[in-house]
Amino acid sequence: MDEYTIGVLTNVGLFTFLALSAYLLLIAGEMSFGQQAFFGVGAYSGGILTAMYGLQLPLAALGAMVLGALAATLVGLPTLRLRGLYFAMATLAAAEMARILFELFHFQIEVEGETTGPDGTQGFRGIRWVFEHGVEPLEYMALVYALLLVVLAAFLAVERSRLGATLRSLGEDPELAASLGVNVGRLKLGVAAVAGALAALGGVLFAHHNTYIEPRNFDIMLGVHSLAYALIGGLGTALGPLLGVALDIGVLEGSRIFGGARMIVFGGLVAVLLVFRPRGLLDERVVHWFGVRAFKRS
Amino acid sequence: MKKFLLLLACAASTSALAQRPQAELSCRFTGTDFVYDCVIRLMRAGRPLDGVQILLGADMPSMPMAHNVAPVKAKPGAKPGEYQARLDLEMTGEWAVKLRLSGPVRDQLVLHYEFDEKGARPAPKRSGTPPRK
Repeated sequence: MDEYTIGVLTNVGLFTFLALSAYLLLIAGEMSFGQQAFFGVGAYSGGILTAMYGLQLPLAALGAMVLGALAATLVGLPTLRLRGLYFAMATLAAAEMARILFELFHFQIEVEGETTGPDGTQGFRGIRWVFEHGVEPLEYMALVYALLLVVLAAFLAVERSRLGATLRSLGEDPELAASLGVNVGRLKLGVAAVAGALAALGGVLFAHHNTYIEPRNFDIMLGVHSLAYALIGGLGTALGPLLGVALDIGVLEGSRIFGGARMIVFGGLVAVLLVFRPRGLLDERVVHWFGVRAFKRS
Repeated sequence: MKKFLLLLACAASTSALAQRPQAELSCRFTGTDFVYDCVIRLMRAGRPLDGVQILLGADMPSMPMAHNVAPVKAKPGAKPGEYQARLDLEMTGEWAVKLRLSGPVRDQLVLHYEFDEKGARPAPKRSGTPPRK
């Protein structure tokens, strides 16, 4: 496999973590424009833990996920009281606040004779764990997909469980779910925390793949894309976000059919899909149809 | 005395080896949209660094992961420490050019450059709150 294909596939995998994070909130009935903030929290905290304190990547990833979940809980506590468009606006505002905080974040120390650490708008360079441990791009891509497989398997298991049904009922009609005894507030906060941890996992993997990060990486474009990927791919299954990312980055970008006009095509695709398939390509109906066919065959 | 000088020379060369390489980029617009011919100047401790294999990639900091530029291998250039490569970008603007060095030196460098119709120049430092003293 050539370097370009490895790069594209790794980016598809990394983006899928963020898209899954947006998807999880979408099936619980909330549209967040702010998941990029937790992606950023994961990237910065993971980078600090490995580059500045010499932690191993798995431990740093765990630490970043915990911080991502905490940050998402903190944001979720006030914002989850809001509904619909107000929640979307509040999450966008929170994400922009986080980005500005990254711009104000200066924390550098000497590591082996070199100054390293976040340096405000200049970003954070030298996140070299992957490079220093001799992990080749193909191996890193395999690590990204192995983790993604675990996450997708967990999603698919949850979606088949009682918890999955409860989540979908929460997304469809929170009042009805509450009348059936579901603690709506607590469940939504839990969902936000898990989505934050998931975005942070993507962030820590992104930082170590990229070797440098900067506040601009985590602006609104990233949040809009992650949400769009979840909506394009479909809200019927956790494979939807992966399909959404693969369609945009894998097909449109990978094939270079549209060249510089890719973003225009992508915007048009989102608009058309929202009109004709508001819950994406793999929506609940398509997933149900596949499920029935599989059941009949067995 | 000889031993002392030898030790000093060894120490100096070890510290030069321990220093990370540095790179500069100068790119010329080819006339084809977003295609640039670039010369990379690679140095370590102020000396040109030859015989290094360089793989060039690029990413847009404002849209991470969304633009995938096919990495290209740089060829040795005309002068010591110089390498040449052609970058085929997707648009003008600021790009983070990534250099993966292998061979006698293993390292990874990231250079921020602003690309336009004239060529490329180092991206200006972004303003923000200075660090507290």
